Amino acid sequence: MSENRFSRSGKLSAFSRFVPFFGRDPLVAADQVTDRALVAVIAILTFLAALTACAAQLTAATAMRWQVMMASEVTVQLKPQAGRSIDADIVRASDILRGTGGITSVKVLRREESAKLLEPWLGSASSIESLPIPRLITVQIDTHQPPDLNLVGRALADAVPGASLDDHRTWTKRLGHLSNLFLTASFGALLLVVLTTGLTIVFATRGAMAGNREIIEVLHFIGADDHYIAGQFQSHFAVLGVRGGLLGGGAALLLVLTLKLSILIPDGLQFSGLSEMSILDWQTVCATFGVIALVGIVAGLASRITVYRTIGMLA
Amino acid sequence: MANQLWCSNGIEVSFNPHYALTTLKKVEGSLQAFPYRSAGELVRFENVGLRYGVGAETLTDVSFSIEPQSFQFLTGASGTGKTTLLRLIMQALKPTRGTVVLFGQDTSLLEKDGLTALRRRMGIVFQDFRLLDHLTTYENVALPLKVQGRDEVTYRAEVTELLNWVGLGELIHAKPPILSGGEKQRASIARALVAQPELLLADEPTGNVDPSLARRLLRLFVEMNRSGTAILIATHDLGLMDQIEGARRLILADRRLYVEASDV
Repeated sequence: MSENRFSRSGKLSAFSRFVPFFGRDPLVAADQVTDRALVAVIAILTFLAALTACAAQLTAATAMRWQVMMASEVTVQLKPQAGRSIDADIVRASDILRGTGGITSVKVLRREESAKLLEPWLGSASSIESLPIPRLITVQIDTHQPPDLNLVGRALADAVPGASLDDHRTWTKRLGHLSNLFLTASFGALLLVVLTTGLTIVFATRGAMAGNREIIEVLHFIGADDHYIAGQFQSHFAVLGVRGGLLGGGAALLLVLTLKLSILIPDGLQFSGLSEMSILDWQTVCATFGVIALVGIVAGLASRITVYRTIGMLA
Repeated sequence: MANQLWCSNGIEVSFNPHYALTTLKKVEGSLQAFPYRSAGELVRFENVGLRYGVGAETLTDVSFSIEPQSFQFLTGASGTGKTTLLRLIMQALKPTRGTVVLFGQDTSLLEKDGLTALRRRMGIVFQDFRLLDHLTTYENVALPLKVQGRDEVTYRAEVTELLNWVGLGELIHAKPPILSGGEKQRASIARALVAQPELLLADEPTGNVDPSLARRLLRLFVEMNRSGTAILIATHDLGLMDQIEGARRLILADRRLYVEASDV
């Protein structure tokens, strides 16, 4: 609170005159040091909460995308059988698949492509050409009218010995569980951060009320009721909460943006799973501003409740 | 000069200007030395006693009333309980016993909202001004109207006019720390008057100013009284009291309140 804003003749400084919102003082006397420290604490808490929310949103979105991708594709594996031509089996299996409703495309991986998939474990493709490696058929499914995969699997196994259908159900389930677990943990972390913010505001409000005890007394004597006084503290701390929230949330958004750019740009925006995402999608921005709003609301409410509980003792 | 007084517990006394009780004489018959007029009284104390902790009573059997548009001084030596009595009226303290009736309402039965409504009918000038240092003079003076939820547009002109009236028109944007004692006192008085209260309580309003300014401040109170506000000024300044003819004097001594006879 600068006393120099006013000259002895009572003229407002240029800043106060032209920026009335920032130039006007609130009724609750602000303590610059305490307020700054509080804003810093809230900013840090919001930063962590917003980062958690962004990570949770990113994980959920990626898991969802991967689940959709996996649900729209199944793989048929044909193991070489002694005394059988694998190429004939592939043709037979492909015919069965193409003749099944709900399947949009069937693609047979060539032997070299299958060998390439095994390269990380078995060495270069040329050295494994002599090995009886399984052949793969990738099948795209119409997700709106999917076929009964159990029936398809049985039909394939009956017609082509050594054929098996992998619908990635196990992986999809595991991914779903992992995603839900992460979301739950993130939600818990967010709750803890909000709770900590609320408790911080409670202590700060108590301190502010003790420091403004005389002001509260004067306000009572000149006819202010508890609602008015609580409203003053509420708006003071809600503003501090939103200010800290904007700082922390803004920093979190910047960090998320930087991380995404650092992942996407070196890979030429081709990194699997992330490539379809925009640099800063609206869900991330919404999650961040949601956290900021939540922090502001919690700060205001915590302050108001504390004032009502404490004002009786002060009076 | 000794003035004739009646004490609220039926003791007739003479008032010595130096607050010593020189004569005590039992008044036969009545324990109630002055007639109560229940209708229209702003303040009525009935046998009020106040004790801090477990010690002796600070105020004993205090009974008096304040009529609308009346002017009275509350006086007594330092430490006799002038400020305590004011705090009882403004409901900063609750009496240990007895009844305090404000604007016709028994304060012991008041809810918090009712108390706020009563306080809005009073103006208070504190001995130590109690201006809010982080607000401008204008904001301090306008505060009673602001807390009532009034829009600034509706009171800006009247607050500015009041500040001009008390001679602070040039300092409306100045903050209390740069005001002189007299300026703070005038700002404090303006704040007490701005909501046009029915009752004005002033605790040593001239205690921090020179005699010339004290006279000017007193004129402010007289003007307010003429416009319909009842005034109670706590002071130990006899010269100040002598300036107002016909003002009633409430004298605190020996933990009791003595009401000087007057034609007011």
